[in-house]
Amino acid sequence: MKAKSHINKVFLGPPLFVLAVLALVPTIAAIIISFQNKELGRRGTSFVGFENYINLFSDRRFSNAMKVSLQWEAITVIGTMIVAILVAILLFETTRGRTRAIISTLLIVPVLLPRVTAAFVWKFMFNPLLGVINYPIKELTGAPIEFLSNIQTALISVAVVDIWQWGLFFAVILLKLLETLPKEPFEAARIDKARTWEIYAYVAIPMLAAPLISLTFVKMVESLRSFDLIYVMTRGGPGIVTETLDMYAFNQGFVESGRISYASAMAVLMLLTTIITFTVLFKWVRKWQTA
Amino acid sequence: MGAQMANRITFGSISARVVLACVVIFAVFPVVWTLLNSFKEVVDIVTPTPKLFFTPTLENFRYVFERPSVRLGLSNSGIIVFSAVALGALFGIPAAYALAHMKSRVGDEIKFFVLSLRFLPPVAVAIPLMSIYLDLGLYDTRLSLTMTYVLLTLSTIIWLSIPAFERVPQNIEEAARLDGYGPYAIFFLVALPVAGPSLFGAIIFSFILVWNEFLIALMLTTSEAKTLPIVASEFTLLGRNVPWGILNASVIVLSIPPLIFLGVLSGFLNRMFKK
Repeated sequence: MKAKSHINKVFLGPPLFVLAVLALVPTIAAIIISFQNKELGRRGTSFVGFENYINLFSDRRFSNAMKVSLQWEAITVIGTMIVAILVAILLFETTRGRTRAIISTLLIVPVLLPRVTAAFVWKFMFNPLLGVINYPIKELTGAPIEFLSNIQTALISVAVVDIWQWGLFFAVILLKLLETLPKEPFEAARIDKARTWEIYAYVAIPMLAAPLISLTFVKMVESLRSFDLIYVMTRGGPGIVTETLDMYAFNQGFVESGRISYASAMAVLMLLTTIITFTVLFKWVRKWQTA
Repeated sequence: MGAQMANRITFGSISARVVLACVVIFAVFPVVWTLLNSFKEVVDIVTPTPKLFFTPTLENFRYVFERPSVRLGLSNSGIIVFSAVALGALFGIPAAYALAHMKSRVGDEIKFFVLSLRFLPPVAVAIPLMSIYLDLGLYDTRLSLTMTYVLLTLSTIIWLSIPAFERVPQNIEEAARLDGYGPYAIFFLVALPVAGPSLFGAIIFSFILVWNEFLIALMLTTSEAKTLPIVASEFTLLGRNVPWGILNASVIVLSIPPLIFLGVLSGFLNRMFKK
C-alpha cells in the first residue's frame, strides 16, 4: 500500500506542478496586466485600477464582439450536432462492413486538417472569380455571390467550414455509439411498425442522450477556438461583422494599437466567463448523467 | 400492395444512397480540389470554367520548398512540436496511469483540473505570455513556444490516456503483483505494453493538435521561431495577383503530417468507442 502511494506521488507530482505553473502564470499575469496601462513599444506602466474594464463596458465594438461570439457559438454548436446526428443515422441505415469503415475514415479527414488549411481551402472555393462554388451560381444567375464580403453571409460561410470539420467528425463518433446499442429495442419498434425516423427520435436518440450531451459540451468548448478560421477567411470583416472576442482582443493588443492592458482586460473577462460557465455546465452534466 | 411497398423501399434506399454520396463529396471534394489545384499552372486555375483535366506541374511544390521561410517554418514546427509532444508524453502517461487507479474525490478533482485547462481561451494565455516572454528575452524563441505547447500536449495526453489505462484488465496487474512485481515493474512491464496502442493514439492526437495550432504561435513569434501554419497563412494573405497554385501547394504541404496519421486515429476512435 505504501509503495502504491509512493508511485502516485512520483507519477503525479511533477506533471501537476508543470501544469499548474504553465496555467497559473499566464492567468495571474493577465489579471495584473489588465489593471495597468501597458502598451507595446511604450516604456513605463502604472496601475490604473478598473479603468480598462470600465472602458470595455462603454465600448460598442466590444459589445459587438460579444454578440458575434455568441452567434458563432450558437450556429456552430447547433449546426455541428444536427449534421452529426443526420449523417450518423444515414450511415447507420445505408452502409455496413467495409463501405462503412471507408466512409468513416474519409469523414474524419476534414477535422484533421490544420484550421489554416481548412480556412484557405474554403476561402478559395468561395472566391467570387475563381471559386468552384460560385461557378454554378454565375452560370445560373450571371453574378457571383460574395460569400465572405457580404454582411448577410460572411459569418454563416465561415461557420460552414467549422461544421464541415466537426459535424462530420462527430457523425463518425455517433455512428460508433449507435453500433454499441443493443438490437432489441430497434426490433421491437420495427415490429410495432414504427417509421425509421420514429425509431431514432423515440428510441435511439434518447438512449444516447448522455453521450450526445457530452459531445455538445465538447463542441461548446472547441467552438471558442474560432480565431484561425476567421483570421484567414475574413479578418473579422466585412467591417466588424465576424469580429469575435478573440479577434477583437488580438486587434487591440497587436494589430491596431498594441494596447496590451486593454486586450488583457478582455481576455480576463473571457477567461472568467468560460471557466464559470463550463465548470457549472460540466458539474451539471456529470450530476445529470450519474443520476 | 407488396410491389408498391418494395418500390417505396428501393426508391427510399436509392435516394438515401444519393444523399450519402453527396455527404462523402461534401467531405472530401474540398481537399481533392485543393490537391488538384496544387499541381496546376496559374493559367489552368484562372479559367472561366473549373478545369478537371490539365497537364500537372511540380513547379508549385518546388517553389514552396525552396522558400527560406518555409524551410525555417518546417524545422521550427518539427523541433517545437516534437519536443512538446515528447515532454507531454513523458510527464503525461505516468500521470494518467496514476489517475486511472485513483478512485477517490481527489482523483476526480485532479481530472477536472486537467480537463478545465481546455476551457482557457488561447488568447487569454497568449497575451500575458507575450508580455512575460518579452520581459524575459524569450519572445520569438523555440524554447518559449515549446513550453507553452507543453500545456496543450500534457493536458491532452493525460486526459486521453486515462481511459486507455482503465481498459487494462485489473486481473493482469493483480497476477503480476502476486508474481512479486513491484508497482513500477507493473507499470513498465504490464500496463504500458497492454495500453500501448491506445497511448500511441493519444500521443498522435496531441501531435496533430499542436502541429495545427495557430493563434498562440501567431502571437508569440515574429520571425525566428515562426511555425509552418503561420508561414502558410502569410502565403494565403498575399495580395491581388496571387500565385494561386503556390498557395494551394503550401496548404497541402502543411496538411501532410496530420493526414499521414489518418489510419492511426481512425483505429484509435474504434478502440475508444468499443464496448
